[in-house]
Amino acid sequence: MSDAHERFAALGREFLTWLWFETERNHGRVNLDGVGPIGVELTRRLALETGGAAGENSTVSADTPTVVEEARVALRTGKKVSSTRLILEVGERQFELAIHGESFVFSGVKLPTLLTAAEDERLAERFALIEELEAIVDGLYVQFARLRLDPDAWPETRAAMARWVLASEG
Amino acid sequence: MGLLNGTVSYLRFVAMGELGDLNEETLKDALEAHAFRDIDPNSEEERSVGWVRFDDPFSAEWAPGELIQPGGLVVLRLRIDTLKVPALTLKAHIQAAERDRLTAAARDKLTRAEKDQVKVEVRKDLRRRSLPKMALVDVLWNLSTGDVRLFSTGRAVAALFCEAFEKTMALELRSVGPMTVLWLRGLAEEDAEALSRTEPERFHLPVGSGGEA
Repeated sequence: MSDAHERFAALGREFLTWLWFETERNHGRVNLDGVGPIGVELTRRLALETGGAAGENSTVSADTPTVVEEARVALRTGKKVSSTRLILEVGERQFELAIHGESFVFSGVKLPTLLTAAEDERLAERFALIEELEAIVDGLYVQFARLRLDPDAWPETRAAMARWVLASEG
Repeated sequence: MGLLNGTVSYLRFVAMGELGDLNEETLKDALEAHAFRDIDPNSEEERSVGWVRFDDPFSAEWAPGELIQPGGLVVLRLRIDTLKVPALTLKAHIQAAERDRLTAAARDKLTRAEKDQVKVEVRKDLRRRSLPKMALVDVLWNLSTGDVRLFSTGRAVAALFCEAFEKTMALELRSVGPMTVLWLRGLAEEDAEALSRTEPERFHLPVGSGGEA
């Protein structure tokens, strides 16, 4: 893996860790620029890694893995979220997917219930929903990237995340 | 895992370059030029990769006007057939054939050339008696944005797909990951560059403790 790829893989892990932090700070809601608050839940499976050459990892499987002590311990030992399953609620609709922060591969994607019955219309509707899902996830990620580059806002967020990790000590 | 129903898993790509004169007719010609062709069991070919109709894996013919849907959406299906006799099966059949040959010739040893001949014959015979393993992979291509989605997450399938797509469309595919998403979504190049130089954070350490090792 090249340095740039490794750096962006690490950024993907930071993004998912930030998303976890944001959901806890805002009671399961994350404000998405241009859309407003959306529901975000990390669910069922949480994989955490140190990254780099050491590559230590922990995997927690539970309905709400973020409350499991093992996940908290992993955070405190310097691991970040490498993959998880997300539930995203946008208005009345719910998307669900597994996402890998290092590659942005989406798997096990569940889309909201379709409104149309005809096969060609169903395909177009599913395609539109896939594009909407990507816009949401990409939008959150770009929002994080902009925050990460903001010399005024990032230090404050980074400090809050450090306090959050420390406060997670049981 | 289907495109029309149920959960989906997929890889994201973006087609780089100009579409040029790509239209319904040139797309149809390109797909037909790289259409799926059956593996000849008498050959040594182990794999065949090519395009088939979305609704019929045994047809690679498209009617005028059915490929590019409203909004510039193209739905494709790639067929990947593999005809490979499992090593253990091949070995067992070769041993059996060698025994039959020795019995018929009332001898206790075959020459090297005879052994090679048995091997070739048995392999051909087994290939003729075997059915290829078929895999069908769905692809969504948005001509307006260049976004390409491959509904499979296997690396081997992705490599075969990229090769087939790039040959067929004469366009380069770039994988979409945490780096490419940023420029696809409009982050300035200098910002992406700045991100590539930042040190990973160590959230478990107090502020000012430095970057990740």
